[in-house]
Amino acid sequence: MDQIYIPKNRAGFNGGEYVLILPLSSQNIKKEKFKLFFYGISNLEKIKLRLIEEIFNLIGKNADFENIIITGSFLERGFCFNDIDILLVSGKKGDYENIKGKIEDNFGIKAHFLILNNKELASGLSSEPLYEMMLSKCISLKRISLNVKRKINYKILDLALLKSKTLIDNFKILNGNEKYYLVLNMISILLFVQGRKLSKEIINREIEKLFSVKISEIKNNFVDIKFLKRYKQIYNKTFNKIMENIK
Amino acid sequence: MNRNKLIEIFISNLANSIIHKILEKAIEQAEIAEKYDKEVRNSWQIAKIYREKINPSNRSLPFRDISEIKSKIKSKIENELKLRIEKGYKNINLELIEKFIERALKDMLVIEKA
Repeated sequence: MDQIYIPKNRAGFNGGEYVLILPLSSQNIKKEKFKLFFYGISNLEKIKLRLIEEIFNLIGKNADFENIIITGSFLERGFCFNDIDILLVSGKKGDYENIKGKIEDNFGIKAHFLILNNKELASGLSSEPLYEMMLSKCISLKRISLNVKRKINYKILDLALLKSKTLIDNFKILNGNEKYYLVLNMISILLFVQGRKLSKEIINREIEKLFSVKISEIKNNFVDIKFLKRYKQIYNKTFNKIMENIK
Repeated sequence: MNRNKLIEIFISNLANSIIHKILEKAIEQAEIAEKYDKEVRNSWQIAKIYREKINPSNRSLPFRDISEIKSKIKSKIENELKLRIEKGYKNINLELIEKFIERALKDMLVIEKA
């Protein structure tokens, strides 16, 4: 029997299923099929893959781009995502509100667009912990190089860390997800300056270790003053580490 | 929450957002730091929420409040920025402080727009 090899992560049919193979013709290419590149993803629900292909099709018809990258909570197991993060690599700064609206209308899902050119993406990857974390788990239309040498700009890290100061000033009013994001931001910076590898899983493990709480407790806002005290210590440690190297 | 507490939180968030703006000016690549910033309410937005809770919310505050807010914001910003300068952070322009405070307080309707 002839065999056809296909990527492991594929929407539409399972291993061992019978399929119909047709010659390529304009009649049966109604929608473009993409060869996707997976980074840090071992498993993904087929319905999500199908949705990604649909979104790539829609963007392909409506925008000029060099690459499309899907990242964020949409790629986490299950369906607890708020939106879909789409990183569009493009040299043109166009109006993407229209595409955003089409995605929302067609699929009933909110899209969060980040538009960067190749230079900005490379720069973000080498100097910003959140970019490294964000792209440690992603799906892209074209191959991306994640082996970028870190170029630490301590001023950028100082600015990024300043965001997390919001938690100290507003502990009582922020919700659990906002607190989690600010902790994530701070710990990603700490690990970055310590020269450690970054991914959401690594950072989550570090948060649980440093604060002795579960991520779900932070997200559900079940944290108290003891947590805040520890947060201030780690914030100061991270700030001092950055200041040691600032010029 | 009493009015004084509301003003305190307003001050600390507004000061933080101005520090952010002044530090942005001190970096050459600030556009990258600003890009992936979606999940969280930033200091400016929080300050705005608190401003709306401080009466009068639809016109400028009494003169006594204004001078207190101005001087507290200024001292918070100066402390944070001077801390960095002492540690060797270069290119911070302290002359921007007054201008940025003035503009921010007008945007927040703490003082009357000219």
